[in-house]
Formats: sequence, C-alpha cells, structure tokens
Amino acid sequence: MKTTIIKTTILAAAMAMAGHGISRAQQLTGRDIVEKAYNLPQGNDRTSILTMTLVNNNGSTRVRKIKQFYRDFGTVEKNIMFFLSPADVKNTSFMNWSYDSDKPDDQWIYLPALKKVKRISSDSKSDYFMGSDFTYDDLGDRKLDADVHKLLREETVDGIPCYVVESIPKDEDYMYSKTITWIRKENFVGLKKEFYDEDGELLKSLSIKEVKKIDGFWIITHSEMHNVQNGHTTIIKLTDVKINTGVPASMFTERMMMRGI
Amino acid sequence: MEKILNKLLSHRWLVMITVVALTVFFFIQMKEKSRMETNLDEYMPKDHPAFVYSDKMEELFDIKDGIIVALYNKNGIFNAATLDTLKQLTKRLQKMPEIDKNDVTSLYTADNIIGTEDGMDVRRFYKRVPRTPEKLAELKRNVENNEMIFGRLVSTDETVTVIIAEIGDSVFTQDFYNRILDLTKASETDDIRIYVAGRPIVEGTLALLGPEDMKRMVPIVIVVIMLVLLFMLRSFKSMIITMLVVFISTIWVFGLMAWTGIPIYSVSTMIPVMLIAIGVAYGIHLYSHLQLYLREHPNAEKREAMEDMIRYMWKPVLMTAVTTAIGFLSLLTSQVYPIKYFGLFTAFGVMMAFLLSLIFIPASVMIFGLPKVKTRDAGTPQHDRNSFAARFARGVIRHRSLLIIITVVVVILSILGMQKIWINSSFLDKFEKTSDIVKTDHFINEHFGGTTTLNLILDANGHKNTFKRPEVLKLVDRMQDTVETRLAVVGNSFSLADYIDRMNKVMNADSEKYNCIPDDQNLIAQYLLLYEMSGDPENLKKVVNYDYDKLNVTFQLKSDNSLAINSAIDLINRFGPEFKKYDISMNYAGSGYKGLVFADLILEGQIKSIIISLIIVIILLSLMFRNVWIGFIGSVPIIITALISFGVMGFLNIPLNTTTALLSSIAIGIGIDYAVHFIEQYRLNAAATGDKILTAERTMAHSGRAIIFNAIAVIAGFLVLLFSVFPPNRELGALVSLNMFTSFVGTLTILLVILHSTNIYFKKKKTENQ
Repeated sequence: MKTTIIKTTILAAAMAMAGHGISRAQQLTGRDIVEKAYNLPQGNDRTSILTMTLVNNNGSTRVRKIKQFYRDFGTVEKNIMFFLSPADVKNTSFMNWSYDSDKPDDQWIYLPALKKVKRISSDSKSDYFMGSDFTYDDLGDRKLDADVHKLLREETVDGIPCYVVESIPKDEDYMYSKTITWIRKENFVGLKKEFYDEDGELLKSLSIKEVKKIDGFWIITHSEMHNVQNGHTTIIKLTDVKINTGVPASMFTERMMMRGI
Repeated sequence: MEKILNKLLSHRWLVMITVVALTVFFFIQMKEKSRMETNLDEYMPKDHPAFVYSDKMEELFDIKDGIIVALYNKNGIFNAATLDTLKQLTKRLQKMPEIDKNDVTSLYTADNIIGTEDGMDVRRFYKRVPRTPEKLAELKRNVENNEMIFGRLVSTDETVTVIIAEIGDSVFTQDFYNRILDLTKASETDDIRIYVAGRPIVEGTLALLGPEDMKRMVPIVIVVIMLVLLFMLRSFKSMIITMLVVFISTIWVFGLMAWTGIPIYSVSTMIPVMLIAIGVAYGIHLYSHLQLYLREHPNAEKREAMEDMIRYMWKPVLMTAVTTAIGFLSLLTSQVYPIKYFGLFTAFGVMMAFLLSLIFIPASVMIFGLPKVKTRDAGTPQHDRNSFAARFARGVIRHRSLLIIITVVVVILSILGMQKIWINSSFLDKFEKTSDIVKTDHFINEHFGGTTTLNLILDANGHKNTFKRPEVLKLVDRMQDTVETRLAVVGNSFSLADYIDRMNKVMNADSEKYNCIPDDQNLIAQYLLLYEMSGDPENLKKVVNYDYDKLNVTFQLKSDNSLAINSAIDLINRFGPEFKKYDISMNYAGSGYKGLVFADLILEGQIKSIIISLIIVIILLSLMFRNVWIGFIGSVPIIITALISFGVMGFLNIPLNTTTALLSSIAIGIGIDYAVHFIEQYRLNAAATGDKILTAERTMAHSGRAIIFNAIAVIAGFLVLLFSVFPPNRELGALVSLNMFTSFVGTLTILLVILHSTNIYFKKKKTENQ
C-alpha cells in the first residue's frame, strides 16, 4: 500500500468510532494505539485539491497544485492525480495502485508533452514523494506490524492529552532507526511525529497544523514536514475535500490519465 | 639617542633583566595562546567580490570538495569481493562523524534510472552484493549503459571504482586522514588496492607538511648559521649574543601575535626566516666594528669600546632598521590578511632586533666582557692596503666598465627571464613528483575525469525558468562537448543538461537517438518533475536552483595547475557572447577557482608593495643622506636583486606562488641594509681621507667585511633547506640564498662603481681628483 495521499493526511486520522468503544480503564498497548490511528475510517472515495509547497533552506519556494481522486476497492486502493500548476507541467498525471498483498505498487506517469503513458517501477520503499520531504511511507503506506510499537508515556501537549508511542522498524536497514508519534487520546488523530535517521539523530519532524471534520470524517487539512538536517520543509494543504461522492472506477485508467480533467 | 644608549650602559643589569622578563612574558604567551591556522579558506579575503560570490554559490549548490577513495582490482571490479568491499567502505565512510551520510556517493548508493519498453525503472545498482555470474553480468550491463555512472563512478576499463565523500571546509585533520587511511588499508586484499586522493587531502596534507618540515629543518639551519658565525666572528660569546638577538626578537613577535589573539598563518612561518636573514646582520655589523676598533685599540676599556661602537654604528643600524621595517609595512596594502600580518609583525621583529642589538649587545658586553681578539690581528692596527678587501676594492674600480656591462647584460637577461614567469596556485605541484599523493592523483586522473573541479555558474539575472529553455540547455550541452573534446586536461563535465539528456533517452525506451535535449520546453519541465518524483531530488539541487535561473556546470580537470584551470576558463569564456544573447552571465566558483583568484591577489599585492617600498626607500635614503641621488644610487642593488630573483625563477621555471612571491621582500630588506651600511661608511671615509681609492678600500674593509660575514652565514644556513623533503621549502632555501648572494655582490661591486663614478662624495674636489 503506497501513495495513498489521502490516507497520508489521515495517518493520524479521524476519531470516529474507534475512540468510542474504548474504556479508559483498559490499558492500551503501543500497538493498540497505533492500530487505532492507522485504522481510522476515511470513507470509500475522496476528491480534493492538494497544494504542496516546497521550501528550501534559502527560503525559495515551489508551489504545486494537484487535483486528486482516491477510491478504496477493497484489496486495492487507487489514486490518480492531475497537476493543475505550474503551467509547464499542467495535465501531467500520475496514477498509483497499491495492493493489500505484498505485491509492489503499480505506478504510471503521463507526460502531456510526450503524449505517452509510461509505467514506473521502483524498488525503493523510501522514495520521497514528488520531491517533497514526505516518503510514500510517511504518507500512510506503513504496515502496522512493520514496526514494534511501545507506549512511552502519556503527556499533554498544548493542552491536548496524547499518547507518546515509539515505533522501531523490524527491518534494520530501514531508513529510520525509530519514530516517535504523539497521538491524541481523544480521537486517535496524530498531533506530531519525529523521525530519527540510521544514526539515531533527529531527521525530520512532522506537525499536524489543522484537522477538520468533513462529512463526518476527521481529515488533516494542513501538515508540515520539516527536515532538520537539510533545512527543507514541505507544507501540504488540502482543500475542496469531498468524501463518498461515488468516484467511478473508470476514473483510474490510462485513458483518463491522457484525457485529463 | 646616543646619550640614552650610553646611559643604558650604566644600567646594564636593568636592561638585561627587562629583556629577560619581557622574553619570559612573551614566551609564556606564545606557549599558551598560539594557534596555527590551517584552514586555507581563512586566508581568503572574505569581502572580495569573487570570494563572496563563490561562497554564496557553494552554499546554494552545495559545492564541496570531495575525498576520492578509489578501489582498484586488476581483474576488474565486477566480482563479489570488490563489490562487497565497496559496499562496506561506503557504509563506513557514511558513519564517520566528519562526513554527512548523504555526501557519500558510490556505485552502491547511486540510483540507476533505465528505460524499458513500456516505461521507466528506478533501481539501486545493487543492495545485496550480487554473487551469481548472471547477476554480476546484469550489473555490469547496467553500469555500461548508464553514462551518468560509467566513466564517472566506474572507470571505462572497469578496473577502478570510486567513492566520493564530500566534506566541509574545516573538517580535515591529520587524525581524520589517518582514520580514513586505516579504514582503507584494512580493506585491502591481494587483489584489491585502495587509493585515497582529492583536494581536501592534498590541501590538508600540505598545510601540515610544510610547517612540520620547517620544524625539522630550522634547527639545522640555525646550527649551520651559528657555526659559520663562530668561524667568522672568532668569538663564541659574540656568536651566541648575535643569535640571541634574533631568537629573542622572534619570541617577542610570536608572543605578541599570541597575546593579541592573531593566529599563526602558514606565511607567518616565514617570519623567522626573514628575522634570521636580517637580524643577524645587526649583530655582525656591530661586532665587526668592535673587532676593528679593538685591533686599533688593543688596550681599550669595554666602556670606551661600547661608546665608540654606539657612536659610529647607531645611525646606520637605525637607518637600515627603519627602511627595512617600512619595506615590510608596505605589505599592509595587500588585500590578504595573513600577508598584512606578515608585513606588520616582520616589521615589528626587525625593529626589535635593531633595538636589542643596540641595547642588549652593549649590556651583554658590559656584563660578560669584550670578545677576545686574536693577537695576530691586533698586530696590524693600520689599514692594510694589501689586504684582500683593499685589493678587491681596487679591482672593482679598475674593471668598472666591464662590471657595468655585465650588470646591464644580467639585468637584460633577468628581464627576459621574467617574461617566462608564471603564477601557480596549484597545491599538487608543491609535492614531490614521486610522493604517494601525486602518484595517487595521477592514477585517478588516468582512469577518471579528474580530481580537480571548476564550477561555472550561469546566471540568468533573475529570468525564472531560463534553464528549462531547450535552446539554452542545448548551448550548455554544446559548450560542455567543446570543452571536453578540445582540452585534454578536462576529463568530464556535468550539468542539468546531462540529466535531461538521460531522461529523454530513458523515456524513449533507452534509444541512443534521444540522448539529447528535446525541443519542447514543457517536456523538459515534465522530465524534471518526473526526475524529482523518481530520483533523488537532492541531486538536482546541486545543478540548478529552485527558480531555474542559476545553473552550476561542473568541469573535472586532471590538474590543479593554474595553466590548466586558466586554459579551461579561456575556452569556456568564448561561449560568453552566446550566453549573453539570453542575458546569461558567466561566473566561477569552487575552491580551485578561489585558489586562482587568491594567487593573483597575493601577486598583485606583492608587486604593489614592491613598488611602494622602493619609492619609500628612495625617499628615506634621500632624507637620511640629505641627497636625492643617494636615494637612487642606494636602490640600485635592491632593484638588481629583485630583477635577478624573478629572472632566475623565470628561467628555472619556478612559478610564483604565495611563498616565492613574498621572498622579494627579503631582497628589499637585505638590499637596503647593505646599501645603507656601505654608503654610510663610504661617506665617512670620503670625508676622512679625501682619497677616492683609499675610501673604497677602507669601506670595503669595514662594511664589505660585515656584509660578507652576514651573507655567508645566512646563505650557508639556508642552503641547508635544499635538503628538505618538501619542495616549496627547497625553493625557499634556494631563493633566499640567491637573494643574499646577489644583494651582497651587487652592493660590493656595482654600488661601489656607481659611488666611485658619480663622485657623489667628492664633488668639491672633483677637479683635483681628475
């Protein structure tokens, strides 16, 4: 499961039912907490406008506006994105199918200037998403049991009570040596997350700036990832979010990629 | 002045204790606070526009110098053992605290982006070490098909592969280098040889090697000078005290430097050299005078002897000190701080050596007694017209026409030689041709593009997206091709154009036909977006800025020699007018280029300083001797010395660099001293005898003797440096000796001839004498 941009935003996602059934007295393990966070309901399909701002260490920025469609087909999640701006890449489209099984993601790119759809295959799980500071994994593609989770403590940050969970990957060669996530007790939506590199040094920090309840679902609409080692920052904002509008299956095809929206 | 000095004779112990106390104070300062500055960037003037620009671009494009670790296997590198060593070494280098993980590049870390029938494939070349013949063959094929790797990370004969670890400016230390060497040595096997090279290594080793060699050689130099002095002064006491004057003034200089918190730069290591050459002279002239006085007055009391010495010598010694110091102070006009400090502190040292000579030497004599004078000498109180000095003086005058002709010929030859002089900012050229560092560098240059990088920065002056324009990128491509094919010394070049070429090829099923810049600007933008999505976006950061209005083109050169770098720059600059059409300006950045600019700055400053100090010297001499002509006459030996020095460098193909350029200061410092002493004696003798020949003889016997002593002692000392293992120190020894030699020969011959022929001190008696 890669590249579910929306899930992305929802890694820390919504509270909904998950939060309700839990008795406070019951002792939750680190794994329980992360599971609840990962499994927050997100709706079956979604459309939105994603604005990605890349800021480099000189303060220069690149802004990209993308229209995206998502639908969960049960065993496969499909995602298609169309660039709206900048002008020279307008109508460039990107499609990703990510499978519940171990099968690697299928990815396609359409370059309008080339007028051809091309398949992209990549063996790197740690790829950065579109030159941003988010990897596909960061964006919500991480499997629950890829890490060992441990509840470190409970604390209140900015008046919000949180669980603090440490996750250590089982794969020693993974790009992070560990991550620490602050998850809201109230709704299991993430608040912030720290990523540590192979040498155990802080690499990036993610902060969730804004969460909105849209059509009954908690959606992260503004998040910022800051790479403390190279000074690079990525800001992702979601607007025009619509959930369960019935995005058709025909949306996720090569023909659609070429036609554009 | 004379009165004060005489008074001090009575307070000899006070003088002695003060000198010792000050010396102890400065010694403690030196011991505790001295700091050696080895970071060459600290030498560059921070506010010079070329450096400001380069630093800004280095920051923007993350331009750093790289350490190159080369793995060589004569059986080829595509086998499990070599690939495993490469992987392990890459990982260990990434773990070193001095190295940023992302700054290490090798076949193990590189992405391989390849085109397939229906799309594109982004993979590591290998993660697990391939062991089967099929997998090894596949890797080999992938490497050969990727132009961004083949010839850059893997040599085209497939026997060498490199790891490049980029490091910051001030990271290099001897310990760091040793740890890298330990690491690489431990990984070597019977088949795999590992070499370490790159500018940080060369620069760092150089900064450490020079002063280290000096530390070894200077004591020998001093011992030799002491022995020669002992032989000439025939007095152990005189020799020790003369040397003490030099040592004490050197301690004061470095103590003051430490006290004021100014670090020791590598040029500062030249200060003792200057002080030895110049400071010894004061003692020699004083003792030489004292000896002559004692010969004439064998029974003189020490107080009388000292008063006589002070009476006759304080003025010429003061004059020489002031002129020399001002010569060095002219270096304050340099834009380079270490050179300014060098000038300032050497001037201070010279003044201290002078002061000590006039205070410390008399105080020592008062305390420890007069030096013994051999009775044999004491038996010849009168001026001996058959002495060597007298015969030499007469010979010089007799053959004056010949001498003038010879001088003119030498000057013309020197000027011819100077035409051949060239500036070299190379670091590698400072090493022995047979040294490991040079051999490793050659080895890597044979197999790869080059160990020296030159960064061309193309600046579209704020026109965003200029470097997405096909016509601009095509021009960049053409420039790179032209420079690579026309100049053998440029092995490789790299820019955004290479990425676009590669993407175009990959997206067209790896067809060689598409290994070029496409005509559609949108396609270029889309390729770039695709690269960001699939490759490492950090790579693009190194070649173009966010707004696509600044481009970094990297040229790899096989030599860091200034001629090589300049030849590349000249050829690149020919594309200037074409880039101008798109309002694109060309600039350069990176350490190699900064070195080039820096060498020019030093030279420019040095030439300016020579001219300024010559003018000041002429004015001072004119004032001191109250005669404008003496100003010009006195500067003749200096000019000749400087000309010969540069001429010889031209003929012997010794390039100008920071060290050799500074040596012209010594020509001035010493040249003035000799001239002042000689003219002063000549004037006194002329007034006393009124006889031109006798004046010449006596001057030769008095000043000439001291000058020869001084010259022989210093020349003998510095010739020792010819046995140094460090070539720049050898050049230093040779050139100091040469300068001393020409200064003394020039003074004793041509200066005498001019004084004699111009009748400058015999004007009134002109008619009688002729």
